[in-house]
Amino acid sequence: MSSDYEISDDENEYYDEEDDEMEVDYDDGSASEIEVDAFGDDFKVAVRSERKLYEVDYTSLSQPEIEKIMQTDVDHISGIFGVEPAVAAQLLRHMNWNKERLIEKYMDNASSVAVAAGVELPPREPTPPPPKASSSRLSSTGPQRTTRRTTAENLKSSPKSKRTTPLVEESKEFVCPICFDDTQTEFMSLICEHKFCASCWKEYITSKVRTEAECKIACMAEDCNIVALDPFVEKALGDDRETWTRYQELLVRQFVSCIPHLKFCPYPSCTHTVSCPSAATKSSLITMVPIVTCGASNTHVFCFGCPIDTDHRPVVCAVAKMWLQKCRDDSETANWIKSNTKECSKCQSTIEKNGGCNHMTCKKCKYEFCWVCMGPWTEHGTSWYSCNRYEEKNSVDARDAQTKSRASLERYLHYYNRWANHEQSAKLSMELYTKTEKKMEEMQVTSELTWIQVQFMKKAVDVVFRCRMTLKWTYAMAYYLASGNEKELFEDNQRDLERAVEELSELIEAPIDPETIMTLRQKVTDKTVYVQKRNEIMLEDTAKGYLEGRWKWNVTVEGFDSA
Amino acid sequence: MDARLRRVNKEIADCKSDKSSRVTIDLVDDNPFHLIGAFDGPEDTPYEGGRFQVDIVIPDNYPFQPVKMKFITKVYHPNISSASGAICLDILKDAWSPVLTLKSTLISLQSLLCSPEPRDPQDAEVAKHYMTSKSSFEKTARYWTMIYAGGPGEDGAGRPGKDAAKDEIAMAGLDRAHVAQFEALGFDRSKVIDVLRRMNYRGANVANINDDRVVEELLK
Ligand SMILES: [Zn+2]
Ligand SMILES: [Zn+2]
Ligand SMILES: [Zn+2]
Ligand SMILES: [Zn+2]
Ligand SMILES: [Zn+2]
Ligand SMILES: [Zn+2]
Repeated sequence: MSSDYEISDDENEYYDEEDDEMEVDYDDGSASEIEVDAFGDDFKVAVRSERKLYEVDYTSLSQPEIEKIMQTDVDHISGIFGVEPAVAAQLLRHMNWNKERLIEKYMDNASSVAVAAGVELPPREPTPPPPKASSSRLSSTGPQRTTRRTTAENLKSSPKSKRTTPLVEESKEFVCPICFDDTQTEFMSLICEHKFCASCWKEYITSKVRTEAECKIACMAEDCNIVALDPFVEKALGDDRETWTRYQELLVRQFVSCIPHLKFCPYPSCTHTVSCPSAATKSSLITMVPIVTCGASNTHVFCFGCPIDTDHRPVVCAVAKMWLQKCRDDSETANWIKSNTKECSKCQSTIEKNGGCNHMTCKKCKYEFCWVCMGPWTEHGTSWYSCNRYEEKNSVDARDAQTKSRASLERYLHYYNRWANHEQSAKLSMELYTKTEKKMEEMQVTSELTWIQVQFMKKAVDVVFRCRMTLKWTYAMAYYLASGNEKELFEDNQRDLERAVEELSELIEAPIDPETIMTLRQKVTDKTVYVQKRNEIMLEDTAKGYLEGRWKWNVTVEGFDSA
Repeated sequence: MDARLRRVNKEIADCKSDKSSRVTIDLVDDNPFHLIGAFDGPEDTPYEGGRFQVDIVIPDNYPFQPVKMKFITKVYHPNISSASGAICLDILKDAWSPVLTLKSTLISLQSLLCSPEPRDPQDAEVAKHYMTSKSSFEKTARYWTMIYAGGPGEDGAGRPGKDAAKDEIAMAGLDRAHVAQFEALGFDRSKVIDVLRRMNYRGANVANINDDRVVEELLK
């Protein structure tokens, strides 16, 4: 089990020994004023169990581990069919690694399966043209478009015998029909005996593997369906081990893509696979958000259930997809929000955002305001902080289409604004990393603190980043949540997390004073623990809501009961 | 010598020595990997009498990757884009084999003109026209052959001069009476042609299209 959200034991050393994650004592002033709501109890129970509700059970596998699984299937088929392993492998690939179906079909008609898989020549007499994978247009009903195709003369020789090993021979008269290079002396062919020079084979396979990312290598002759088996491919590639390695990786990818409970890591040049049987069905995706890491790197975080290659908890895949599509469709309308500068609403001077904190102070007039809603900051520190909530206007009387569409745009912008802002702030706080490191060095100089003791800053930045990611997706979720009690409770959690994150954000950007550094450390450490707890509550409660079927949407969402 | 260059040179030479097929391959400039192919429109088709030019680009790993071809001459055909000349043909994609040649591919294009496959169209509007009324489609294809490929035209009488005005209604394969009917409502002729063509206002299909819908489209 490895998850970004899990707090591993070794990270605890950044805190004082009594700072046990599970049972934090909020005994300093800042924490005691915060009420732990009803979810606190559930949270405590859940956190004690091995896996949290919002986490999914999975294992990560390296390429050799997957190859071992493939080999077991190949050996099995090879044994019961009495064929060479390379043939068995091609039969399995042809049947998309559905072993049961392969056995069933093979028992029924071994020859037709072998011909379709390209490991056996079609029967010689009434020769129907081999079915073309690509072309519905070549069906028996449609006219044959390629009837006038010419075929190279020297390819007409009919096959004589079956061979499973590549044929290599020397010839003086034969000229390769592809390169017409009469200096070529080495020729190879598959069981169809379509002969080409070794150099053309090598180039052809390299082109398939490298340019097309294709691991099914069909014979080069026109309309020939015979497939090059692995020993042939390896021999033809010769000393080009790099392409051979790539070919093997493509075979693993093909296998993984056929098995519903496996998914290949989407990060570039990574070859790890994640196995997650509990998220293998579509219906499972309405009750969980299967976020996994591949095992090769902690940063390879992706969703097992959909193509989004970031952690999109707490939103289920179908809703996350809808939201991203909506953002793409409305990208122009909302583009201005992403800009890094805004005008002070009091003195109109331009203000640039350069940290992750949303508490802004105008340099000129000293007006303190919230970057997100541009409202005065004084309203945000209090208990009635509600920057996150969109007040649905009594727009029932908005009869004309224009008013209606303006209202719906305003509503969308409310959520999009906050979504984009958390993303932007998270990015900016990552830039703080370098600043933070400098700060930590400073601290070592200006205080008695050791290196390990100044890690609290780094940890805080980490937590802020992670929680902003959660917050970001909560706005996508809130946009689609049907209004009502459940949504209000959701937004209460969202508000509590957001406020805590903003407070921590502000703390870590505060100037460092040697006098107060011990207090600052205590404050940051406490706040970090608290923010983590709020994040847990947010994720845990949403996960629980999915299991209980508590979340209702204001649109129809795939897999859920209609809105 | 570069294997690709040797092969292309041999293909060009082989094509030159064979005059019987009337398939030609010529260099555009000095670059042997950018060529122009040409062939005659097949007999007993609306393309008969026309000469069709094809732009040929030889990719870097030719012949292991398929050659890139598109029509230079405008063609009215379901599997050829009437705007760009792009071609939908399996051997130019995944059914390509390195033993196929430029010449054999051009001959495949020639045979594509004989046997349109409207169920797998490149040009959806042309395909709709073909499915709605084959005779009307053929008339339009023949007109395009006359205008763009030097074909003999409907009555086989003669070819229009280079500057002859194109008949936009015939180009779109529409009925004169239909165009006139909506023109009479005060709409611009080219707008009417555009809308009726897009809506496939032809043959039996006319009965399925409410006049109000046409007007609605015209007002857009
Ligand atoms: Zn060769
Ligand atoms: Zn073959
Ligand atoms: Zn990875
Ligand atoms: Zn997902
Ligand atoms: Zn100001
Ligand atoms: Zn605000």
